[in-house]
Amino acid sequence: MSSLPQDGLVAVVKRDCPTCELTAPVLGELARRAGLTVYTQDDPSFPDTVPGPVHDLALDVSHQLKIEIVPTLIRLEGGREIGRTYGWDRGEWERLTGVRGLGDGLPEQRPGCGAKNVEPGVLERLKVRFNETGLQSRRVEIGQDEDEQEAMFGRGWSDGLPLVPPTEERVLRMLDGTARDPQEVLGLVPPALAAATVEKIAINAVMAGCKPEYLPAVLAAVEAVLDESFAMHGVLATTMFAGPVVIVNGPIRRRIGMNAKGNALGQGNRANSSIGRALQLVIRNIGEGRPQEVDRATLGNPGKLGYCFAEDEEGSCWEPLSVERGLKPGVSAVTVFAGFGLQGVVDQKSRTPESLARSMAESLKAIHSVKLAPACDALLVVCPEHERTFREAGWSKARLYEELYKLCEIPGEELIAGAKGIAEGGPPALAGKTVNKFRPGGLMIVRAGGGAGMFSGIIGGWSAGGPRGSIPVTREVRP
Amino acid sequence: MTVLLDPTSERSPTIRPRLPRPERLDGLTIGILDIAKSRGDVFLDRLDERLRERGLAVKRYKKPTNTRPAPLPLQQQIAGEVNLVIEGLSD
Amino acid sequence: MANLEERGIPTVGVATTEFIQGAEAQAKSLGTDPALVFIPHPVQDRTDDELRKLADEHFDAIVKLLVT
Repeated sequence: MSSLPQDGLVAVVKRDCPTCELTAPVLGELARRAGLTVYTQDDPSFPDTVPGPVHDLALDVSHQLKIEIVPTLIRLEGGREIGRTYGWDRGEWERLTGVRGLGDGLPEQRPGCGAKNVEPGVLERLKVRFNETGLQSRRVEIGQDEDEQEAMFGRGWSDGLPLVPPTEERVLRMLDGTARDPQEVLGLVPPALAAATVEKIAINAVMAGCKPEYLPAVLAAVEAVLDESFAMHGVLATTMFAGPVVIVNGPIRRRIGMNAKGNALGQGNRANSSIGRALQLVIRNIGEGRPQEVDRATLGNPGKLGYCFAEDEEGSCWEPLSVERGLKPGVSAVTVFAGFGLQGVVDQKSRTPESLARSMAESLKAIHSVKLAPACDALLVVCPEHERTFREAGWSKARLYEELYKLCEIPGEELIAGAKGIAEGGPPALAGKTVNKFRPGGLMIVRAGGGAGMFSGIIGGWSAGGPRGSIPVTREVRP
Repeated sequence: MTVLLDPTSERSPTIRPRLPRPERLDGLTIGILDIAKSRGDVFLDRLDERLRERGLAVKRYKKPTNTRPAPLPLQQQIAGEVNLVIEGLSD
Repeated sequence: MANLEERGIPTVGVATTEFIQGAEAQAKSLGTDPALVFIPHPVQDRTDDELRKLADEHFDAIVKLLVT
């Protein structure tokens, strides 16, 4: 701050501020009677009432003085600030400067305007320039002849699609989306067991294309998959199809514009797509979980780019998934489930809940392998038209679960290896027994989808579902 | 110059890593790309002989001019025909 | 070289010592770490025998960069 005087008065103003214009004659007075250095944030010729205002177009001085409002008047003594006031207030200005009779003809007071150095985006740029970001992650300098996208692809950061370059400014803005400390560690990401700090997650959220307001949902999803009972290492390393599927409940869905309706499991919604993607990038980049390395999936599934959607809660007769799983209504939450792809359930003729439940059960029994039970967990995504059938018949969620579990009992004979001419299957001892396709608690039901179309969906789980493998985890979204 | 924040666990260096190499050369095809500076071919011919002596398959390529990168069709051809490349001789 | 590595083909470059600084600068500006073997400058005025001898002397170093 070489241009700041050791002793004396300093004012910071901008032309584009009616109060600064109002005080221009007062600044002139002070310059004559007491000495004054004026810094101007926009037009270097303003104010013309003082000789040579210093232009601070780069806003360095404003930043270092931590100006928030213009005009601000500061008194310095021995190189230290001993007082300041902002806006126009005759009493305050006279007290600070020791000069009486200032601003003859002006009103007593007038509030100031927002300073340019704290406008959105500007503050982040200044923090980066002055190295005040508090960001701890290693800086990666991109060679001047490197294309940014190629630079990120070449370093292995990408899931195959372009990334948003995680500049310091973008990451700072992303961190504004949470109140949590950037250095808070949410857990260790497998397989590398590297620490997932809020900052590292924010970097990946930037790359995924998230807005800052999505960050709390991403943080909750990461917390959920790092819960031991989700068994993230196993879910990643399996040769099976699964990846984390994220279901969002509560007010956050509408606040950030998520899609719970038409094409909810498809493309086109920034929040759905980028939140799911951010989680996958965290696993890839922090955890070092990558295909053909620790990720041994034979086929995988397209959801491993990102699989996140909102439950369609409004107008549903069923409690939201998060409430079913123990959280209070009205609380924003995410549930993660080790799931694969999507199997369709077409039923355009069932008019009774019994018929529709049977229809869904037949499809549920076919997941994973028709010859294996219990096979895996499953998430049944009931479309609004199907949910209406249950609602009009007065079927609660509990009723539907009860019915589906009953319908998913399978005679052991059908499951024996060799039965139906299929070598896959279980031991001959299954004869005479009945086996349920699902473990108790292995089914989850949510409502989602567009209003037209009698097409529900089944997201099958991982074969090691349940206490010996992965179980779904729900986490509240914290700001 | 663009500065990005590292999204990884920071266990590896920040520059783009070299591709992993195979453990052995046996059974692989090696491409020799002559970047077309004069006398380079004599050097590369000898490398070719030594590789063939070891029973390895070798394919030879030459850039049309040393002043520009290899044209796209040549790059694609090389990538489709060999497992490894020796490129020379720059001076 | 960077192009072929981007296409999944591990590459080793052979250059004369004149090229060392240029190679470093290029690598820095591209953010790469190319595998390079340097032979003594000059090349243009060497006899065929001398060039073959240089190839023999550096053959092992070149092969070393082609394998793990």
